[in-house]
Amino acid sequence: MTVTVDAAGVDLAALRAHRRHRLLAAMADHDLDVLVLGRPAEVAFATGARQLWTAGTRPFGPAGVVMAATGRTHLLSVSDEGVPAEVAHEDLYGLSWNPANLAASLAAIPGVGDARRIGTTSSSPGFPRLIKAIAPGAEVVDGAPALWAARSTKTADEVACIAAATAVAEAGLTAMVDALRPGVTERDLLAAYLERLASLGAPTPPTEGVACATAVSGPVALRRLATADPVAEGQLVVLDAGGFAMGYEGGVGRTWVAGAAPASGATRELAERCRAVLDAVVAASRPGATGAELCRAWTATGEPLPAGPIAHGVGLGVEPPLIGEGVGAAAVLSEGTVLLVSGWVAAEGVGGFFQRDLVLVGDGEPQILSRYGRGPAGGET
Amino acid sequence: MRRQRHARLQEQLAAHDLDGLVLLGTSAVAFATGAATPAEDSSRAALFRSVAVVVRGADAPILLTPYPEGAPPELPDGHVLGPVLPDLDDGAAGLAAFLRDRFDGGARLGLDEVPHPLHRALDDFDLVAASGVMGPAKLSKSPDELVCIRAAQRINEAAMVDVVPLLRPGVRQTDLTARFLRRIFELGADSNGIDPIWQVMPPTKAAGPWTTHGDLAFPTPSTTRLLRDGDVVWVDTGIHVEGYASDFGRTWIVGTDPRPSPRQRTQFQRWREVVEAVLEATKPGASALDLCRAAIDANGGTRPWIEHFYLAHGVGTDSAEMPLVGTDLGEAFDEQMVLAPGMVLVLEPVIWDDGAAGYRSEEIYAVTDDGWVQLSDHPYDPFEGR
Repeated sequence: MTVTVDAAGVDLAALRAHRRHRLLAAMADHDLDVLVLGRPAEVAFATGARQLWTAGTRPFGPAGVVMAATGRTHLLSVSDEGVPAEVAHEDLYGLSWNPANLAASLAAIPGVGDARRIGTTSSSPGFPRLIKAIAPGAEVVDGAPALWAARSTKTADEVACIAAATAVAEAGLTAMVDALRPGVTERDLLAAYLERLASLGAPTPPTEGVACATAVSGPVALRRLATADPVAEGQLVVLDAGGFAMGYEGGVGRTWVAGAAPASGATRELAERCRAVLDAVVAASRPGATGAELCRAWTATGEPLPAGPIAHGVGLGVEPPLIGEGVGAAAVLSEGTVLLVSGWVAAEGVGGFFQRDLVLVGDGEPQILSRYGRGPAGGET
Repeated sequence: MRRQRHARLQEQLAAHDLDGLVLLGTSAVAFATGAATPAEDSSRAALFRSVAVVVRGADAPILLTPYPEGAPPELPDGHVLGPVLPDLDDGAAGLAAFLRDRFDGGARLGLDEVPHPLHRALDDFDLVAASGVMGPAKLSKSPDELVCIRAAQRINEAAMVDVVPLLRPGVRQTDLTARFLRRIFELGADSNGIDPIWQVMPPTKAAGPWTTHGDLAFPTPSTTRLLRDGDVVWVDTGIHVEGYASDFGRTWIVGTDPRPSPRQRTQFQRWREVVEAVLEATKPGASALDLCRAAIDANGGTRPWIEHFYLAHGVGTDSAEMPLVGTDLGEAFDEQMVLAPGMVLVLEPVIWDDGAAGYRSEEIYAVTDDGWVQLSDHPYDPFEGR
């Protein structure tokens, strides 16, 4: 496979080997003989293979199989295109629509039939039966904790990949900033963003929910579905960009005012309140901090918690922890966790203000990996 | 259209004696509720899921979503609720508590995916595959559903009119993607469904990537690869409108003034003959096996599709769904898959001509009371009209 975005000086073969080593160590810790992987990001973590991107999530199926005894990863892939060299041809199994053929492919993996404990990262009502057929003596268990244990702490090379992805996101954000003017629609902004990403060789976005013109009257909500309504002069527009590089995700979000008029006092006040919650949560993002503490850092500014998460992990896409109202209170941050932290405040009659930064939890001060100006409304002149 | 889909789900719940459905997959939730969600990478879509709950006998589905702005306006009060996160323990416990309020303990529920946290939280329910209900409910489309597929296909096709002029030596695959994605949103698409494919086909199978079965490697993801004069490019894209997918497939040739060789024109002619033969057999009561046989006969006894795929597939809220025609499910499966009005077929025969690559395009047809109607409409440039 051609690497479509600059590899940021990272030795990708060494990175893959390191990830595989971490995954096998986590399988040993969780006493797993076999780990069955489902999602593209899980396969990417175990092998570096890039699967064809499709939108949304599909029911669980065995897209990859990691064997503790041999240290080998077996992949559902008809061809070796995009499959790293360390995954041998005999480790590939083809696409089957017929469950019997799929079961035969899995049963042919050396050692599967003798497995004692098989972890699966998710499941379906029929999947345990399929496993029983190929490994009659195996206990089927939750394999996700082993996978998350391996994935959650990022190495310096992974952080470099995330930073490269954030540069892609920043380019997408610039495309939206450049396109923003009264009369433009959220759909136009999304179109400009996607065009910019693809022109950089990074053709798939983390999400198409990137532009939201916030309401100037009535209740204010952060929407993620682009409308065809024209943006009005002076409207506050959330521009929340993401990007991928080497499979890793980065992101940065800002709020910009449509038009050339200077930001009003009310807008500046909103921007300051948003900045305050974001700064508070970022400052709290230290090793050992819990999700509950991050939420308390937010509410200590006097702002109510929003409906969605205020922070979530990123690596090969979105990862736990998810932290916010009613979720992730017990999650504990560790050194090497990368978080997308967002701030959101709203005022009826003014609009909403959103900012999002990417934060590396380290042994010292939290390190902000995203870089972007805050715009006229956000305090820049 | 959404009311009709709900009624079909209710019929199937009764037929299969299920108390309800709990749907987690993006396309299943779209079908059951009509809710719009932004297109997302699968990692994000799984952790920030929308979930659909269909209670047997209820008038409307329940949607639990991070994107309430995408909920259909007719859903009654109390039927659009905030998100649950069933892939995490705290979220799964919340969803289980919600379900216990609406179903008796031991209820028989159809699910499409069961993350382990949800499985632990629902250990006293009888969980079965949702596919027994979803498959029959989705199989035959209403006229309104066909209109949505056609609308998605129109936008997809119109966007390609603006991509084709870029197809000159030195363009990158991802440059084509950039133009395509911009255009679909300018033209009214709700979302993109798949990383657009612009795969350069090698002249011989042997010159292409190694495969598990010795047949073609297709599709492979797009990169910054530069396209060169004479490259044979197989295009495959899909977008969504009102939840319904398009499916656009064409063979293009890169060049300043691309002209297919006589051999390439022969491939295209053969492809058309296969499509015509299959359409001749396409009517209610015909089986998928009848279509396969018609295609093979028209191709001189050789199967004109790729080993790991199919001669045809359906399209709906999934980009490939039943009816599948010619898969490894086997001849017995194909024989019992009998066409009925409202079924949709995306015909995608492949004419491979080792030494000179091959021809592949896709066309969408709906089965009618006495035959078929075509939903796709796009020229075969540069293979015709010169």
